[in-house]
Amino acid sequence: MREITVTINGKPTSATVSPRLLLSDFLRQDIGLTGTHVGCEHGYCGSCTVHVDGASTRSCLTLAVQVAGRAVDTVESLAPDGEALHPIQQAFQDCHGLQCGFCTPGLLMSVAELAGTNPECGRAEIREHLAGNICRCTGYHQIVDAVERALVALREAQVDG
Amino acid sequence: MAETEAPRFFGSRVSRVQDDRLLRGHGRYVADIELPRALAAKFVRSYEAHASVGDIDRDEAAEADGVSAVFVGSDFVESEIRCVSSYEGFQISAQPILAVDRVRFAGEAIAMVVADDEYLAEDAAEMVFADLSPLPVVLDLDAALEPSAEVLHDGWADNAYVRRAVKTPGFEAAVSGASHRVTIDLNNARHGAIPMENRACIADYDRGTQRFTLYTTTQIPHLIRAGLALAMDVPENRIRVIAPDVGGGFGVKAQLYTEEVACCLAARELGRPIKWVEDRREHFVAAHHSREHRHRVTGYFDDDGRIIALEADIRVDMGAYSVFPWTATMDNGMAMGILPGPYKIHEYSVTGTPVCTNKTPYGAYRGVARPAACFSIERLVDQIARHRGLDRAEVRRRNLLGPDDYPWHSPSGLVYDSGSLPESLESVLSLGGYEALLTQQVEARAQGRLFGIGIVAFTEQTAHTTQEFKQRGVPIVFGYETAKVRLDASGTAVVSASIHDHGQGLETTLAQIAADRLGLDLEQVRVEYGDTNQVAYGAGTFASRSAVLAGGAVTRAADDVVAILKQVAAHDLEAAIDDIVLETGRLSVKGSPNASVAISEICRLVYQRPERLPKGVESSLEASRTYDAEPGTGAYTNAAHLSTVEVDPMTGKTEVLSYAIVEDCGPMINPMIVEGQIFGGVAQGIGTALFEEFLYDENGQPLSSTFSDYLIPTMTDVPDFAVAHLETPSPFTIGGIKGMGEGGAIAPGAVIASAVEDALSHLGEPVVNELPLTPERVLAYIDEATAPGGPR
Repeated sequence: MREITVTINGKPTSATVSPRLLLSDFLRQDIGLTGTHVGCEHGYCGSCTVHVDGASTRSCLTLAVQVAGRAVDTVESLAPDGEALHPIQQAFQDCHGLQCGFCTPGLLMSVAELAGTNPECGRAEIREHLAGNICRCTGYHQIVDAVERALVALREAQVDG
Repeated sequence: MAETEAPRFFGSRVSRVQDDRLLRGHGRYVADIELPRALAAKFVRSYEAHASVGDIDRDEAAEADGVSAVFVGSDFVESEIRCVSSYEGFQISAQPILAVDRVRFAGEAIAMVVADDEYLAEDAAEMVFADLSPLPVVLDLDAALEPSAEVLHDGWADNAYVRRAVKTPGFEAAVSGASHRVTIDLNNARHGAIPMENRACIADYDRGTQRFTLYTTTQIPHLIRAGLALAMDVPENRIRVIAPDVGGGFGVKAQLYTEEVACCLAARELGRPIKWVEDRREHFVAAHHSREHRHRVTGYFDDDGRIIALEADIRVDMGAYSVFPWTATMDNGMAMGILPGPYKIHEYSVTGTPVCTNKTPYGAYRGVARPAACFSIERLVDQIARHRGLDRAEVRRRNLLGPDDYPWHSPSGLVYDSGSLPESLESVLSLGGYEALLTQQVEARAQGRLFGIGIVAFTEQTAHTTQEFKQRGVPIVFGYETAKVRLDASGTAVVSASIHDHGQGLETTLAQIAADRLGLDLEQVRVEYGDTNQVAYGAGTFASRSAVLAGGAVTRAADDVVAILKQVAAHDLEAAIDDIVLETGRLSVKGSPNASVAISEICRLVYQRPERLPKGVESSLEASRTYDAEPGTGAYTNAAHLSTVEVDPMTGKTEVLSYAIVEDCGPMINPMIVEGQIFGGVAQGIGTALFEEFLYDENGQPLSSTFSDYLIPTMTDVPDFAVAHLETPSPFTIGGIKGMGEGGAIAPGAVIASAVEDALSHLGEPVVNELPLTPERVLAYIDEATAPGGPR
C-alpha cells in the first residue's frame, strides 16, 4: 500500500491506496465522487475523463499512485453544490446535449479543456476535439450545438468580467 | 388541462428536469450504489463456443485472498431461464444460471467468484479451471438448418426454434398475373445496442423477511421481477427490483439476465449483498446481441413499377437460448409483420425461421427487426426502380400509402392508424435538396468522384399492445402501462409510472402532460419510476410505447384527480360541479371571476380539514389508471430520410456527407426531445450501416470484444442533421400521440446502402445487399461494378 496526497477539486486529500488501484476506482470508491463514469476500461470511450494538472486524462488508464502530488479535477468541480450550473453545463441543458447522462461528465471535462485551448473553434473542430468521447444516445448534433453555445457564453463572460 | 387556456407545456421545448443532477455528476447509476458489507462478483466465462463441461477446479480460487465463495452450475441448478413461445412447434431452451453440462456460446458463465472487492474477485477468477471438451460448432444460420448440423439442445429435432408461414389467400393468383419480378438476398450483420453504461446489479437478501432487493440496469423493472420469480420460484411479493438512473438501454437492458439471477442466489446463500459490475469485454460477449437477419425477398410488379405481391423468407440468428420476456421469436415475428412497410401491398407470403446457433443469445435492440425489414423492402423498391428505369422517388410515389388509405389493413394483419407518407417523402426531397443533389452528382462524376444519394420512406410501428403481442406468442402480453397521480397536502403532484426513463426524457414529458392536466407548474410535478415497490405494475420502456401508453395513463389519472378537486371546490365555493373550471393554479366558478380557490387550498382541505369535505368524499387525491391504446397493433409514425455519401474508390471508405429527416410522430409533447431521439437513432443507424459487426472465427471465438475492433460512430463519423416535422394525430390514441423512440435507427442502413449503390451506379449495377458497408465490402461492390464482363 502507498500513501498519496492529491489535490482533488481543489481540496488536498491524503489516502492509502494499493499500487494497482485505478484512478477511476479511487475517485469513485475511495473518495465517493461517482460523477466520473467507467464505460470501457480500455481508454476508448472517454466517459471517465478527468483533468490531471488541467489536462484531460483517462482515469481508467491512470493509476491512483500516478497522481500523487498532482491536482485532479472531476465533473463535480464544475459547479459546486448550491451554485448555478457552469456555462458549459447550462448549454448542455439548453441544447439537449445529454440523454442518459452516462457519457456526459467525461464530455463536459473534454469540453472544459477545449474551452481553454481553442475557445473560438467551429463545429468541425469541435467534432475533431471531442471524437474521443463516445455518446450512444444523442447522435452528437445537439452536443455540438451545446458546445458552440457554451464557447460563446464563456467568451462573453470573459468580456464582461 | 387548465380548461380555458391552451396547454402550457405540451408541445414546448421544455428543458429536462433530470438534467441538473446528471450534469453535476449527481446521477445515481447502479455502479454508484454502495451497500454495507457488499461483496464483489466476477464471472468466469467459457472460452469455447460449444463444449461439454467436465470438472471445474475451484479449490485454488476458493482459497485465494479475500474470496468468500466460488459458485458453479451445480450450485444453482434449481434455477434456469426459460421463455416459451405459444407458437405451435416451438422448441424450448432452458438457459442455466451457470453452465451445467454444456456451454453453448463463448462468453457463457461457468463460475462465479465472490470476493471482498472487484480486484480480488478478478484475481481469483483467473484461478478457476474448467475442463471443456469442444463439440462441433454451429455458427451460420443457414448451415445450422442443414440436416448434418449438430443439434444444440437435447430433444430438439433441428436448430429451428420454430418455423412459421403466413400467406394471403390471393397471393398465388396475384403472382401469376404479375408481369415482372425481382428477387434479392440480404444480409444484416450481428451487432448490438452497446449503451455507454455496461450492465450492473446489486442483490440484497433479507433473511428475516425472506425478501430480495435487486438494483439493476434495466428498462423493465416489473418484468425483471416477474422473470426472477419464475427463475427462482419465489413469489413476486418477496422481490423488489429497483432500476435507478440507467446509462442507456436501447433494448439490451430489456431482458432478464442469468447474472441477475446468480447475484440474487449468491446473496441468499452468503447473507451479504452481492455487487456485479460488468466490464466492456464481457458486455460484448455476454450482453444480448441483435440485428442478424438474412432475408430473401421477391417483389412482383407491373410495367409501371407498382407492387402487386411480396414474397419473403426471413431467418434470424437468435443465438444459443430463448430470452425472457421476448422468447426467441421476437425479431422474426416483427419482421414478418412489418416487411410490407409503407407500401400499398395487398398480397403477401412469408416464411420465418428463428435459428439456434453457438452465439450469444439475441435480444431487443432499438427498432427490433424493423431496420432489417426496412433494408429489405427499400432495397427491393430500389431494384424495382432500376428494373423499370424509374427514379427512386417516383417508384415510391406510385406505391406509398396515401392519406385516404387509412386505416390500412396490412396483408400481415396490422392496422395502420394514420400517416403522411407521400407528404413526408416530398418534404424530405425538398429539405435535402434532391434536385440540386442530382446536378451535384453529375458534376462529381465528371471529376471521377463517387457521390451517391439515398432516399427511404418508412413506417415505424409504435406503442403496439395487446393485440400485437398476443399474435407474437409471448408468454406475457405487454398490453398497457400504468400511472398513478397523487396530489399532496401542499398542492404538488407525484406521478408514479410503470415505464422507465434511461435517456428518453420521460421524467420531463410525463411531467409536461401532468402539469397541463392538473393546472400546475412543471416544478410542482415530480415523476417517479423504476422501483417496483413504488410504482404500479406495468411492462416498462421498449417498443416506442412509453409516451403513448404512460402519457395516456397519466392523462386519465390526472383527469380523475381533477374530478375530485372539482367536487371539493364546488362544495367550498357553493357552486354546481359543472360550473367549476380548472385554471392554472386555481379552480373558479364559470362566469364569476371572483369566486375561485387555489388548487393548493383544496389539497389542504382534503387532507387536513376533513370536516369541510362534501359528504361521501374521501381524504384522498389520487388515482391510478392504465392505458392500452386500442386496437393494439400500434400507432404508426412515418418518416422519410435522405442522405448523401461519398465513397473513396481507393480505400472503399464511405463518408456520410449529409442527412435529412422528415418525421411525423403526431403531436409532439416536446420537439427538442423528439429531435434528440431522432438524431440518436440515426447515429446508431449509421453504425449499423457502416461499422458495427460482431465477428467470429471458425471456432466461434468472438473477434469483436473491444472498442478497438468493434467500431461505433464517433463525433466525426456523423454529420449535422437537417430535420423537419409533420404532425398527423393518431385517431387511436389519447392526445393523438404516436411513439417515435426507435424510428431514427430504422432507416439509415437502407438509406446509406441506397446512396452507396447510387454512387456506383454509373460504373455498373451491383446490388448493395449487405450491412455494414465496411471498406472491404464496398471495394468488393466496386470490383463487381467494374469487373470486365461484369454487369455493364
